[in-house]
Amino acid sequence: MNEINTIAKELLTSGKVNAVIGYIRYGNDKRTKPFIAQKPEEADKFVINKFILNNLAVYLTREEITKLGKIGIIAKGCDIKAIVALIQESQIKRDDVYIIGVNCSGVTNDFDIDFNAETVAGKCLNCEVKSPKLFDVTVGTLEDIPQGEDKKLKMIRGVEAMNSEERWDFFEEEFDKCIKCYACRQACPLCYCEQCIVDKSIPRWIESSASKRGNFSWNLIRAFHLSGRCIGCNECERVCPMDIPLSLLNRKMAMVTKDDFNYVSGMDVNAPTLVGSYDLKDNEDFIE
Amino acid sequence: MENIKTQDPKIIAFVCNWCTYTGADLAGTSRLKYQPNIRMIKLPCTGRIDPVFIIKAFEKGADGVLVSGCHPGDCHYNAGNFHARRRWMMFHKLLDYMGIDENRLHFSWVSASEGKKFVDVVNAFTNKVKTQGPFEKYAKINKEFVINE
Amino acid sequence: MEEKIISKENLLKLCSDLLKNNVDVITPGEKGYVKIKNENEVALNSKTKHTKASFKEYIFPKSEPIIYYKKNQNDVEIIEPKVEEKTTVIFGAKPCDIRSINILSKIFNWDYKDEFFNVRANNTVLIGLMCEYADEFCFCTSVNLSPTSVEGSDIFLLPLDENNFAVRIVTEKGTNFLKSYENYLTPGNTEKSKAVEAAVKQPEKVFDAEKVKEWITGNFESEYWNSVGRMCLGCAQCAFVCPVCHCFDIVDEDYNYSEGRRMKNWDGCQFDMFTKHASGHNPRNDQTKRYRQRISHKFKYYPDKFDEILCTGCGRCSRGCPVSIDIKGIVTEINELAKA
Repeated sequence: MNEINTIAKELLTSGKVNAVIGYIRYGNDKRTKPFIAQKPEEADKFVINKFILNNLAVYLTREEITKLGKIGIIAKGCDIKAIVALIQESQIKRDDVYIIGVNCSGVTNDFDIDFNAETVAGKCLNCEVKSPKLFDVTVGTLEDIPQGEDKKLKMIRGVEAMNSEERWDFFEEEFDKCIKCYACRQACPLCYCEQCIVDKSIPRWIESSASKRGNFSWNLIRAFHLSGRCIGCNECERVCPMDIPLSLLNRKMAMVTKDDFNYVSGMDVNAPTLVGSYDLKDNEDFIE
Repeated sequence: MENIKTQDPKIIAFVCNWCTYTGADLAGTSRLKYQPNIRMIKLPCTGRIDPVFIIKAFEKGADGVLVSGCHPGDCHYNAGNFHARRRWMMFHKLLDYMGIDENRLHFSWVSASEGKKFVDVVNAFTNKVKTQGPFEKYAKINKEFVINE
Repeated sequence: MEEKIISKENLLKLCSDLLKNNVDVITPGEKGYVKIKNENEVALNSKTKHTKASFKEYIFPKSEPIIYYKKNQNDVEIIEPKVEEKTTVIFGAKPCDIRSINILSKIFNWDYKDEFFNVRANNTVLIGLMCEYADEFCFCTSVNLSPTSVEGSDIFLLPLDENNFAVRIVTEKGTNFLKSYENYLTPGNTEKSKAVEAAVKQPEKVFDAEKVKEWITGNFESEYWNSVGRMCLGCAQCAFVCPVCHCFDIVDEDYNYSEGRRMKNWDGCQFDMFTKHASGHNPRNDQTKRYRQRISHKFKYYPDKFDEILCTGCGRCSRGCPVSIDIKGIVTEINELAKA
């Protein structure tokens, strides 16, 4: 029995929460999968290790989960940013969740290889929330995250250096692979719209077919709808079955909003959202 | 003017009803001439403009898109153009990053009394789009929608 | 069933001949099923892992135009595109993949003969390859298949040793196909091939599909379904990588006011809009109901209608699921419930 099991069990036994969402071991190896425990004895299954990749905040806007009552959620720093963003956007109330923050030293998608600078997930390299900022209780001890090469940043700089035509060709080639499965949208904790713009058929804004026009339009509009909101959990890229480098778009927009508005999503529950507010002194030197 | 790639670009202008549309109207009643390549789409306020409209305009064959509204502080609905300004700031950077040249998208503030400014904005932008040429990239991907027998 | 032997060298020569004759040769590679340009890219290793997705898209494309329309002054002109009758060879697919075409053929020829599927399937020669891979997600033996099953193939290859393959010619299409390559083949050795077959490690049979079907029949409202589908994100990746999932959506897309096309696109029952009615009512309005549908369709509704299980046990859905929902585990649990 570890710290996490004791805490989760206590929460369920005392009735402080009606359910706890966390990670359990899966299969023969260290892989984990999301699990929701409603009975105290089920809390024995939870684990915290290097493979707790999923962003569980995605379940907090699902009716099947919220109807259970107050939810306890085991969340890493990046997941908590999603919870903060959801609170900022009034999708959940702070009192509806009990946050079990995890002191996280990096996660990885490679189960067979040792955890090191090569295999650590790209998003962990610049993590500012190793020790969670918003929580009700914390578990785990902090270690150093191995420092590896930031490959995605290099790719972004590479795209920025191309000219307009080359950039179009690059993205057209990437989005040709898209099969419109919408896994990126479903795995994203901030894609919670009841009717997504791509599902609207009268009028049809974005084609739902896996055609060039539809793919380009879908990925562009999704990147725009997440600008200023994306918290960088990189789930979209992890779940994409065609390995499209979606972080090239989302991370670039996060960099743009940081540079231009000095705003980082998911850091402060009381901060107004970027697109939901305005400043009289906003930059307008691109407007004639 | 050097490097003209097309003499007849198609430009879509999303304008707000209270300022820019009235300004364009003033240009008309004052008999000021401007290049005929723009087609205007009137909206109540620039705050109504969803960036997906801009993408749709390019998809449907626009070579350039102009977006214009009231000056900050003059919005008929108080804050519509402030919200729009923030959106545009991020949107034009995203479009440029994805390969839609920033010279094809232009934003301006034109008030109801600025008929002359409207003429200047339209003429300058039309000339810029003429040097950019037709938007062949979108024309190419649109070809799959029709069958050639 | 006739049996021959072919050497690896001749097999590659056969591929090279096919490519020279402008035949599309599709084989499982590192990035999935791809059209090869060179005969050395062909898959001949029986120990490789499954590809991420199946080869379904070559016979049932993910987005396909079925009609082009053009509005004139007084009427609408409908142009029906013709599906190209191009000979295609699927080379080296595992039995769990190859079997899918026969299973899909039942629904695409049920109340309406789907020409888009039939033309492609009729022009495709399916060459299977024995499988020596089996991991913890595989369960072909529980759905009436096996790593050496020839069902569904036109031609089936078993590696006899480093340089030779047994060639089992299963269908008439296979016989006709090999007529032009007779000089590459030598007489078969059924004793040797049977010995190789017997030595292949078979995944353990973990459930009885009949019992599972019976349980599903009587337990539509069971509490069990609440726990099964709850973690599902509704991303439908399972449907998209599955060799036999076949649901599709029809949408119209316009080029301008008067021209456009009608598309047939892959759809998935895990999407929340899948069963949304025009009135706004959605009979499957939460993920647990949608997941119940997936299991029931695969293990009860399709078997009831067509006498085939809508699953080949390849395990791709479980391997690719972002939240690690394991179909083998679920159906095994149902089997336990059925026994109780």
